[in-house]
Amino acid sequence: MEQLTTIGINHYLTISAILFSLGLYAVMTRKNAIVVLMGVELILNAANINFLAFSHYNGGMEGVMISLFVIVLAAAEAAVALAIIINIYKIFKSVDVSSIDSMKE
Amino acid sequence: MHSLIQLSIAVLLLPLLSFVILIFFNRRLPRRGDFVGVGILGTTFGLSAYIFWVVIVQHYDPAFRVAWDFTWIDFGNVPGVGPLVIKMGIVIDNLTAIMLTMVTLISFLVHLYSTGYMKGDKHYGRFFAYLGIFTFSMLGIVLADNLFAIYIFWELVGLSSYLLIGFFFEKESAADAQKKAFLANRVGDIGMWLGILILYSQFHTFSYHEIFGHLAAGEFGMSHEWLTAAGILLFMGCVGKSAQFPLHVWLPDAMEGPTPVSALIHAATMVAAGVYFVARIFVLLTPEALYVISFVGAFTAFMAATIAITQHDIKRVLAYSTVSQLGYMVLGLGVGAYSAAIFHLVTHAFFKACLFLGSGAIIHAMHHEQDMRWMGGLRKNMPWTFVTFTVATLALAGLPLSSGFMSKDAILAGAIGFAQAEGGGIYYLVPFLGFISALMTAFYMGRQIWLVFFGESRTHLKPVDPDDHHAAHAHGGEHHGVHEVSWNMRLPLVILAALSVFVVYSPDPLDGGKGWFMHMIQTPETVVGETAHAEPALHMEVVEEVAALGGVQEAVGEHATAAMHTESHTYADPRQAEIGHLSHAAHNQAIMISSIMVALGIALALLFYVFRIFDPERTARAIRPLYLLSFNKWYWDEIYNATVIKGSLVIARFLSWFDANIIDGIVNGVATLTRKFAFASGNFDRYAVDGMVNFTAFFVNTSGAFMRKLQTGKVQTYVVMVILALFGYFVYYFTQLVY
Repeated sequence: MEQLTTIGINHYLTISAILFSLGLYAVMTRKNAIVVLMGVELILNAANINFLAFSHYNGGMEGVMISLFVIVLAAAEAAVALAIIINIYKIFKSVDVSSIDSMKE
Repeated sequence: MHSLIQLSIAVLLLPLLSFVILIFFNRRLPRRGDFVGVGILGTTFGLSAYIFWVVIVQHYDPAFRVAWDFTWIDFGNVPGVGPLVIKMGIVIDNLTAIMLTMVTLISFLVHLYSTGYMKGDKHYGRFFAYLGIFTFSMLGIVLADNLFAIYIFWELVGLSSYLLIGFFFEKESAADAQKKAFLANRVGDIGMWLGILILYSQFHTFSYHEIFGHLAAGEFGMSHEWLTAAGILLFMGCVGKSAQFPLHVWLPDAMEGPTPVSALIHAATMVAAGVYFVARIFVLLTPEALYVISFVGAFTAFMAATIAITQHDIKRVLAYSTVSQLGYMVLGLGVGAYSAAIFHLVTHAFFKACLFLGSGAIIHAMHHEQDMRWMGGLRKNMPWTFVTFTVATLALAGLPLSSGFMSKDAILAGAIGFAQAEGGGIYYLVPFLGFISALMTAFYMGRQIWLVFFGESRTHLKPVDPDDHHAAHAHGGEHHGVHEVSWNMRLPLVILAALSVFVVYSPDPLDGGKGWFMHMIQTPETVVGETAHAEPALHMEVVEEVAALGGVQEAVGEHATAAMHTESHTYADPRQAEIGHLSHAAHNQAIMISSIMVALGIALALLFYVFRIFDPERTARAIRPLYLLSFNKWYWDEIYNATVIKGSLVIARFLSWFDANIIDGIVNGVATLTRKFAFASGNFDRYAVDGMVNFTAFFVNTSGAFMRKLQTGKVQTYVVMVILALFGYFVYYFTQLVY
């Protein structure tokens, strides 16, 4: 019972796992490329939560540092990914990832 | 190089040139090029005559000898044989000079004669070409200085005789005769080659001169019997070429060739080659080999003479007389009457060429009638032929004043000397057969002359053969259209008849020994030892006997005794010396006996055919078995058919069966096996190897098709796969951790 009432590392990790799963689900199932990209952001943030939680309970600053790094990385990634999506849209007139399968050939 | 050698090379090559020109261009030349053949042979004869003049007349030296040779092929050091160098060369001595002149003269006359005889033949030009190569081959034999060269030309003579005997090859009998001649010669040639090889194995040289030198130095490494064998094997070559028993059967059949060819074969070239060869190797013949040679010769002379008596074909009688005379020559060599044998070779060449050309003239005039039974009375129609033919006949029969008389009597004297030297007994058979043959020779030649030239024409007696248009043509009682032949056929007859008279060879008609010929051709000293023959007692006895006869010099006795004491290989052979002196002593005896024999023979011929005291046909019936034996040529052809030919056929048939069943069976078995194996291998290839290859392809194909489905090209699918893979990895990782 105490475990449920007191906020501990398990809660963070659970939140992180739920967030990761939602992100993964979005990446795997959504048709819109933008939504897929959003799913990726969710996954990244799930990772961030993990880093911060472990960092907090471990007493070091490495996790904080890496999560900041990840935020920066995510921003850059979003920029590049959005540019790619714009280009995809220019070529295929669509952002539906399920219809873009020219890699097959 | 001696100028004589240069000349002799020209003599050798000119007839070859004639052959080459005529065989290729005879159709383009006017008169089919016969003038080329006659002209070249005339030149050749001129050159030979010059050589004769220089050697015989100017030098007049029994020991004259010029030689020249060059290395033809150098094989280097052949393993198992030793150094093998084949040389070619030319030797000119008195024998060569005489033979050269004889061969070229007769060949020239035959060429000239053929321009008349062969006129109108469709292969006229080719005939002269063949005559050219025939002459070339014979000159090669005469000039060669070694056994290898002589063997080459020996085979060339065989080839050219083959071509000429089968000149009318459309006729089956001619084609058969040419094959028979060639095969019979081959049998002898094999022996000759073995003999050459025996000598080569010992001395590593083919040169006569070197072989004789080694032999005289006693360097023959094998036993005396081997030397005898070598001599007899070499003599086998002569048996084939010179038609001695038992290979004589080809020569009478060689009559199928055109008559000028018969003259050439029977006189100057082919048959002379055998006797010439034995004369060349005479010095290495051991006494044992000489016995064989003398008996073969004597038997051949006798047998052929008996056959000649009953033949009807004019050329066949002459053919058997040739065999018989060759028997004399071989007999002469065998008994050691060397010069007499050569002498007979030359005199016989001239008179036999004359007889053959004469018979050719008769056949030509009679429109190809060869059977003497339907001739007769020709002396009026053909006076030139009659006279020349008669002169040559007298020479052949051996009447005094003829050349044949001198040479034949010299041989017979030698035979008597031989028999006495050997101590009589069985050896008297040799002179005995010789004299009997002389009798028969006189008889059959008398018969021939009478049947052909005397009496009345019997052309109309010939049974009419509807197939034979010649017979119809010649019919009409008298010799319709039979007249003397043209000058180019008459001239050779006259020249040859003139050469059958004694004065050409010796001033004394009774003794050829006094002439230039016997002086120039002297018995060479033997180079083989007396090992087998040496019986001192006999020698002494004989020497005394000879001394008693009064015709002996002291030197001979000394030589004989010296040889006996040392028992070494010696030049001064006592055996030769004995025979020589006994022959000399027997000379008058021989003349007497042979004259009686000849007289008897002619008398018998007269009794049978001129005076008709004996009827030939009734006599034939009275001695029918003997007559049939003679008429059927002692059945030699039949005997050979039944033994050698049948035997060969049986062997051939067996070999054919063996080939068809065993060899072919093996081959077919191998083929079947190979085929089976190939099928198995093919199936293995098709199913196993191809199966594996196809399976690989199939596997790659299906797995590819499967993998292809994974490649959807959709990013999300890949993500799913990555996740699954990661999941799988984690599952694996954690299970590993647990255990």
